[in-house]
Amino acid sequence: MKKKGIKCLKLTLCCAAAAMAVQGCGASSDDQKIEIEIVQYKPEAANYFKLVEEEFNASHDDIHLTISSPNDATTILKTRFIREDYPDIIGIGGDINYSYFVDAEILADVSDYEGMQNINQGYLDIAEALELVPTDGTYIIPYVANAAGVLYNRDMFEEHGWEIPTTWDELLTLCDEIQAEGILPFYFGFKDTWTCLAPWNAMAVELSPADATKQVNKGQTTFTSEYRELSEKYLQLLPYGPDGPFAYNYNDACTAFARGESAMYTIGSYATPQILSVNPEMNIDSFVMPASDTAEGRTLNSGIDLGFCVMAECENKEAAYEVLDFLYADENLQKYIDDQNAVPCKNGDFQLSPMLDGMLEFIESGNMTDYQDHYYPSEMSVDALLQTFLIEQDVDGFLTNFDTNWQRYNRDIIRMVQDYEAANGGKE
Amino acid sequence: MKNTTTAVKANKTVMVLLILGLSTIIFPLYMTIIIAFKQPSEMTNNISGILSLPKTWSLDNFREAMEVTDFWRSLKNSLLISVLTVVLSIIIHSLMGYTLGRNKGSKFYNFVYLFIVSGMFVPFAILMMPLAKQTAELGLANWFGVILLYVVFYMPMNVMLYSGYLVNIPLALEEAARVDGASTWRTYWKIIFPIMKPMHATVAVITALAVWNDVMTPLVIMAGSSQNTLPLAQLNFQSQFGTNYNLAFASYLLSLIPILIFYLICQKQILNGVVNGAVK
Amino acid sequence: MNIFSQKNDRKRTFLFITIPILALFVCFNTIPLIRGVIYSFTNFRGFGSYDWVGFRNYADLFTDARVGKSYLFTIKLAIVTTIVVNIISLILALGLNSKIRAKGFFRGAYFLPNILGSLVVGYIFNYFFTYIVPALADMVGLQSTSILASPSKAWIGIMIVCSWQAIAMNTIIYISGLQTVPEDVYEAGGLDGATGWKQFRHLTFPLIIPFFSINMVLSVKNFLMVFDQIMALTKGGPAQSTESISYLIYNNGMAGGQFGFQSANAVVFFIVIVAISVAQMKFSGSKEEQL
Repeated sequence: MKKKGIKCLKLTLCCAAAAMAVQGCGASSDDQKIEIEIVQYKPEAANYFKLVEEEFNASHDDIHLTISSPNDATTILKTRFIREDYPDIIGIGGDINYSYFVDAEILADVSDYEGMQNINQGYLDIAEALELVPTDGTYIIPYVANAAGVLYNRDMFEEHGWEIPTTWDELLTLCDEIQAEGILPFYFGFKDTWTCLAPWNAMAVELSPADATKQVNKGQTTFTSEYRELSEKYLQLLPYGPDGPFAYNYNDACTAFARGESAMYTIGSYATPQILSVNPEMNIDSFVMPASDTAEGRTLNSGIDLGFCVMAECENKEAAYEVLDFLYADENLQKYIDDQNAVPCKNGDFQLSPMLDGMLEFIESGNMTDYQDHYYPSEMSVDALLQTFLIEQDVDGFLTNFDTNWQRYNRDIIRMVQDYEAANGGKE
Repeated sequence: MKNTTTAVKANKTVMVLLILGLSTIIFPLYMTIIIAFKQPSEMTNNISGILSLPKTWSLDNFREAMEVTDFWRSLKNSLLISVLTVVLSIIIHSLMGYTLGRNKGSKFYNFVYLFIVSGMFVPFAILMMPLAKQTAELGLANWFGVILLYVVFYMPMNVMLYSGYLVNIPLALEEAARVDGASTWRTYWKIIFPIMKPMHATVAVITALAVWNDVMTPLVIMAGSSQNTLPLAQLNFQSQFGTNYNLAFASYLLSLIPILIFYLICQKQILNGVVNGAVK
Repeated sequence: MNIFSQKNDRKRTFLFITIPILALFVCFNTIPLIRGVIYSFTNFRGFGSYDWVGFRNYADLFTDARVGKSYLFTIKLAIVTTIVVNIISLILALGLNSKIRAKGFFRGAYFLPNILGSLVVGYIFNYFFTYIVPALADMVGLQSTSILASPSKAWIGIMIVCSWQAIAMNTIIYISGLQTVPEDVYEAGGLDGATGWKQFRHLTFPLIIPFFSINMVLSVKNFLMVFDQIMALTKGGPAQSTESISYLIYNNGMAGGQFGFQSANAVVFFIVIVAISVAQMKFSGSKEEQL
């Protein structure tokens, strides 16, 4: 009996060793081809990139392309960077991580990439603005953008004859009207803290300067003065949402909106696939969130959702550019747009999703401003601060807190910015 | 006589309580199962909607979940990692636990015991980056490295369990063998190792479960390789902007089966141990 | 073989076992830990270049209100959950170990909570707290919203889910402990008229004290390091009231850019848990000797 047990152990070990040997010889590759590896951070677009990978490899003999779309790509990328195992190209969003990567000098300057001429200047400016201190090069080629504002139930609006509001007052009047009909104007999923940022960003583009964070870093202003109106207006929205919005998460809110429990939902275009999965027949449109007294001041809240960066360590930049050419080809980009309801960052004739109808004029005229939260360091957890603010409804406390936290979490960046200012003072 | 009747009564109460307690498990399980069979369009926010049975009992979700996770390949990787970790853990940790449990008087071994057990309290987040770097430098950024790390991660707890178990195994057993002239090494494998069977089963269950569900270690260590474990593959169902709960739940139900079977086998071993009079 | 050489053999065998295992442990636990400690003196973000900042991170740690709050929350959660889990799982272990029908079935069923992945647990309990509990309260005539939405009560929700999941593991350890209690102890006790609580208090419990202390140490450690349940249920909210220490370390250190600072947090946290656990072990060690 005892012997048998030990024999079993030995057998298992032998099997394992054999399995090890089998796995070991799977990895043989063709030396002739140049290997290009892309890691992109949007797992929801994995199918599209799988297709691109196949098509590219079928049409190219000299380059072999691998695209992975892992979940939690930021963690994966960071751990790969620390072990100096760099992919050739990374697909990331235009947010603070991009700023950090530029600052860490791990991205290659791609200003010599030819396709750059066709990229919408608005998004190139946004990318430029994300650099902590200005640099000479360009490090990201914007691919697609997303837009945030208000999603609304088009059928419900037509049925009741509601008009799209263009000023803050009109928005509040509309909300009152909707409420009078016994319908909930907004649904909020504030249990997931990040959703607190959606209305905040959408109103901030109109109420606060686009470079508010930079001005604060330079010591020119404070958030207490830049964010006051924004904070006060945000609180006015709450009564038009469900009771106790902090009990519901993003998924609850999407489901509720899809089931017609509310007329509007302040969220980005990225939420439409989740909403449609619950109610595939739903007729959704969107409009730009009005936040001030004039219709002219409106601007679309839009940022780089996905852009591609070539790593500094990439050995074969030409091959990488060839891959990018393929990715940015109109027909491929169009496929992505259809798949993800995205907004292209490239100039050209693209067919956009009808859910973006209400935002079309802004996109076409290039009237767009980046998300404020793309400048917030994630460890400061502004989303959680906002949630706290919405629960406690204390504007002054929130703003003071915001300012102190900002100074604390951005200490090194502020010093860097001010050193830069001192060295290049006044040269704007 | 009187004793047995009270015992029977007591057992009945125990049964009733156990059945009542079971409801806290059946309800979540019921929800998991019906969600796994529903379509996304059947998901609602009202109670009657969520508790209702799916419209059709189709296995489509399971089929699709298996496709998305590349089920059989991921299962193979998960099994390989879990089985090897458990086997190595039982061998290595029981040896270590035995050594430390039998040398409680020695300053050196006491120090080693505390040193190893304190490893349990190191937050994984602080080890993550250095480990990612170190395994890559040693060429261990693969599933073998993951197994090695598991053996180290679960060593503190398992060593603690084994040496705790040894307290109840009398030294006299070994001494008898020693009088017969057997070496310590031989005595260990012949007498102590088999006696610790219930503990082996306990350790196997705890270790296997932790490994089976772990996402972080393979995510960090094997990042960039094409190898997936089941939990890694299941990450595909969720992203910030949308989670397909129906597919995810189907997939979780599938991956629950192997570990449940393993547990049921092991728990018999936990039962059959020392009571049989092997020791006392 | 004489006694002397046998003693030597024993010593040699023990060393022969200890050295390679200890080497493995040092290589993959101690060395990376030391590397981590080194990072705690830098402003490292997790990639790119970094500067030495001396003890700045440690000084900051003690003035950071968010870190302080996370310690309070975590310790409160750990104490309450440890007590709840150990009481329930000890009772459950006794129940599952008694002579009942369908023992295998019950043991399997009670083990289930432990295997359900955190996405499933998170979804179901979110649903439970958000929709079902308020509806039940409504039926009884109480007005209530989700406890997970209340900054003062959310920790209770987390405590419930942590307990629900952890009871299985603790029960297994208690059951394996109960197996070491020989039947004749009960028989002898039965003759003396010791039944029920008396039998447990004076016969069973003293014999499973090593397992009790293992469970206490493991529970305290596991709940102090609580992470999965926070991610699944509240992600630190509402109003940052449920940010556990591990959550902060991971979220700000790994996912965010505060790697250096959170390494310092992790180092301090490590020292705190070791201190608590050593105290616990010393305490239960002295109890064991008493009995």
